Amino acid sequence: MIEIDRVSQIFQTSSRKDHLALSDISLTIEDGAFVSILGPSGCGKSTLLYIVGGFVSPTSGLAKMKGKAITGPGPDRGPVFQEFALFPWKTVLGNVMYGPRQQGVRAADAEAQSKALIEMVGLKGYENFYPKELSGGMKQRVALARTLAYHPEVLLMDEPFGALDAHTRTRLQNDLLNIWERDRKTVLFVTHSVEEAVFLSDKVVMMSKSPGRIRQVIDIDLPRPRRRTELLLDPRYQKYVVDIERMFDDSDEPASNP
Amino acid sequence: MKTNALTGDVLLGLVPIALVIALWQGLVSFGFAPATLLPPPGLVFARLLQQLVTSTFHHEIAATLIRLFGGFSIAVILGVSIGIAAAANPAINAVVRPIVRVLAPLPKVALYPALLLLLGFKHESKIVLVAADALFPILLSTYYGASTVEQKLIWSAMAAGTPRREILFKVVLPAAMPSILTGCRIGLVISCIVVFLAEMITSTDGLGHMLVTAARTFQAVDMFVPLITISLLGLILNGLLQALRSYLLRGFPEA
Amino acid sequence: MMSAATLLKRTAPVLACVGLLAVWQFASLVLKNDSFPTAIEAIRAVPSILTDKDALINILASLRRMAIGFALALAFSIPLGLMMGRSRAVAAFFNPLLMVIYPVPKAALMPIIMLWLGVGDVSKTLVIFLGVSLPVIYHSFEGAKAVEEKMLWSGAAMGLSAGQRLVRIVLPAALPEILTGCRTGLVLALITMITSEMIARQSGAGNILFNALDMGQYDTVFAMIIIVGMMGICLDAAFERIRARLVRWSEPQFDMPLSFS
Ligand SMILES: Nc1ncnc2c1ncn2[C@@H]1O[C@H](COP(=O)(O)OP(=O)(O)OP(=O)(O)O)[C@@H](O)[C@H]1O
Ligand SMILES: [Mg+2]
Repeated sequence: MIEIDRVSQIFQTSSRKDHLALSDISLTIEDGAFVSILGPSGCGKSTLLYIVGGFVSPTSGLAKMKGKAITGPGPDRGPVFQEFALFPWKTVLGNVMYGPRQQGVRAADAEAQSKALIEMVGLKGYENFYPKELSGGMKQRVALARTLAYHPEVLLMDEPFGALDAHTRTRLQNDLLNIWERDRKTVLFVTHSVEEAVFLSDKVVMMSKSPGRIRQVIDIDLPRPRRRTELLLDPRYQKYVVDIERMFDDSDEPASNP
Repeated sequence: MKTNALTGDVLLGLVPIALVIALWQGLVSFGFAPATLLPPPGLVFARLLQQLVTSTFHHEIAATLIRLFGGFSIAVILGVSIGIAAAANPAINAVVRPIVRVLAPLPKVALYPALLLLLGFKHESKIVLVAADALFPILLSTYYGASTVEQKLIWSAMAAGTPRREILFKVVLPAAMPSILTGCRIGLVISCIVVFLAEMITSTDGLGHMLVTAARTFQAVDMFVPLITISLLGLILNGLLQALRSYLLRGFPEA
Repeated sequence: MMSAATLLKRTAPVLACVGLLAVWQFASLVLKNDSFPTAIEAIRAVPSILTDKDALINILASLRRMAIGFALALAFSIPLGLMMGRSRAVAAFFNPLLMVIYPVPKAALMPIIMLWLGVGDVSKTLVIFLGVSLPVIYHSFEGAKAVEEKMLWSGAAMGLSAGQRLVRIVLPAALPEILTGCRTGLVLALITMITSEMIARQSGAGNILFNALDMGQYDTVFAMIIIVGMMGICLDAAFERIRARLVRWSEPQFDMPLSFS
């Protein structure tokens, strides 16, 4: 269980003014839950993820995992960054193998596991390519495989499918759901797409901007396992999507306000 | 297709070199410069080839190379380790920064008399001079590279379970490699220049010394031989560094 | 109001100077070598050099040559380097020649250039010009080559001509790299200035330095080292000021140590 308890984050900007990026966020994420965060650009979604990852310590408040305060990163929480952050000096295989090797898995085993993961994300044949030789969407998939490779209990995904074409996106959404249904990992998933959030999640957290706050948490009560084609025709699914979009439309906050 | 373009580039590049040699030959042939001041290029290259097989010339080259490599290696080892340490540790940073600020712009040749007085006229003073001059470009680029490593690369490695003390070798060093190698390249050229100058100022052997001896006895041909030799040495060493660079940076976009 | 930390930061280079002088003082007291005066003795000899009219004129002449050589080199090298970076043919044409010339110590050309142009200002300025040009060309070239193609495409889409793109897009984008070249050039200009004067043995700071060495006036040798060192430090500080102004946008957060430590 992840507990976020009255977390606020203040950034010092270069003009020396304090910027309140997150204000008094409280949120509980059950083990094995799939939770999406939706919100306008700049509302602090990434920052919240970094705090759970232990990369950033909040200015005030506390984030806890399994009852223990989060003080730093660890292989129990695997991030997939918006910017991919692949190691440019390693090949696709080298990137994916990095985690298992770091965990002390034998080279041959790590290689076999990594190759299977690379195949799963649809990059078979690209094992020996360097990140610079891949397209944006391919890099994104390598980043996902690299994180899955060390079997984190919690996945922290920052718009992981943002750079993908619609087809690959759908495929990876299904793959992610399959992995999740099999392993029941806890997933904290940032996205801009309302459909994606409703399709994947148990819970959608809607945030608002300036300062970043939680506006509303909506439970998505749709049966699992979910099939995309069935769901698209399901009036309950459609209602969730429309309701959430209305809520964003109704808010009088301009989309980009510093 | 690709090889054609490449040969085209090489041929194009040879044009200005050929022009320079032609101009040089022209100056001599048309009597603008007396052969005692500017010997014809054919004579110079013939002398270079002739010298290349003599053992005294080997000895001079060896002396220069020892100083060059000695100084350059010291500069690389110190520059990279101090640069990384300063980027990673605020306390070291606080001490190193002001000292570098003061020492980096100091023209180290001016220290040469002091080095001569302290270390004598043998290899040591020249090696230290070369190291001192090559150190700062390497140190500064290492520091720059290490302090601009993408934060999320470090985070990714930490999340995968890399202990803090290993981050330096597993992420910071490889990520800073392009910058480090750029620094090494500047350092190498400066090393070539400085070792030659040091040998010109005081030495009993080495390429710089050859030039000074030739100048004293007005042997114009012999003055050009060491200059062309250092240029070729620089070219070869640079080529080796370039090869190392494209091997080490094969994954980086800029290589 | 200035906090203790900022005060310490401002004065850190001065503290470093004092520290280095203290190390020198201590070393010379321990070594007790006749040819290695203490820091205090050397500093005492500085005023007598700076008040000597001949010496002062010599030093100022050195600086003037350096300024002229440096300025000419920038005016020539930056455009050449940028053109090389954006045109494959220009690069292929000049690159090999430059690679051949770069490792040659320009001051070593002094004996040859002197035969042609005499021992006067022209030879020495020319040598400095050559010394500064190569790193500046090389870095402008690298900087221009690394400019993102897409920036130029957007420039072209906005209707900029090739020449305008070079000045308005390539130059500013390559500026940080060009300035790295200028800094290397500054170092080489000082090296070249001193050694060329030492070889020509006619005037200038390098001449005073090595004459004193030959005559065994060790106080003067070390006082000159201090003077030349101060010249380097002041020039570098001035350069750094200008650089910080020009490329503020690309400044990395140097004060921020890596966050894992
Ligand atoms: N290191 C930082 N220093 C200063 N301000 C920051 C820093 N990181 C983020 N911010 C500010 O905090 C706010 C939230 O940023 P964050 O990256 O979390 O937004 P986001 O919701 O992920 O946006 P997007 O959807 O565009 O990725 C922004 O206004 C941003 O300007
Ligand atoms: Mg974000």
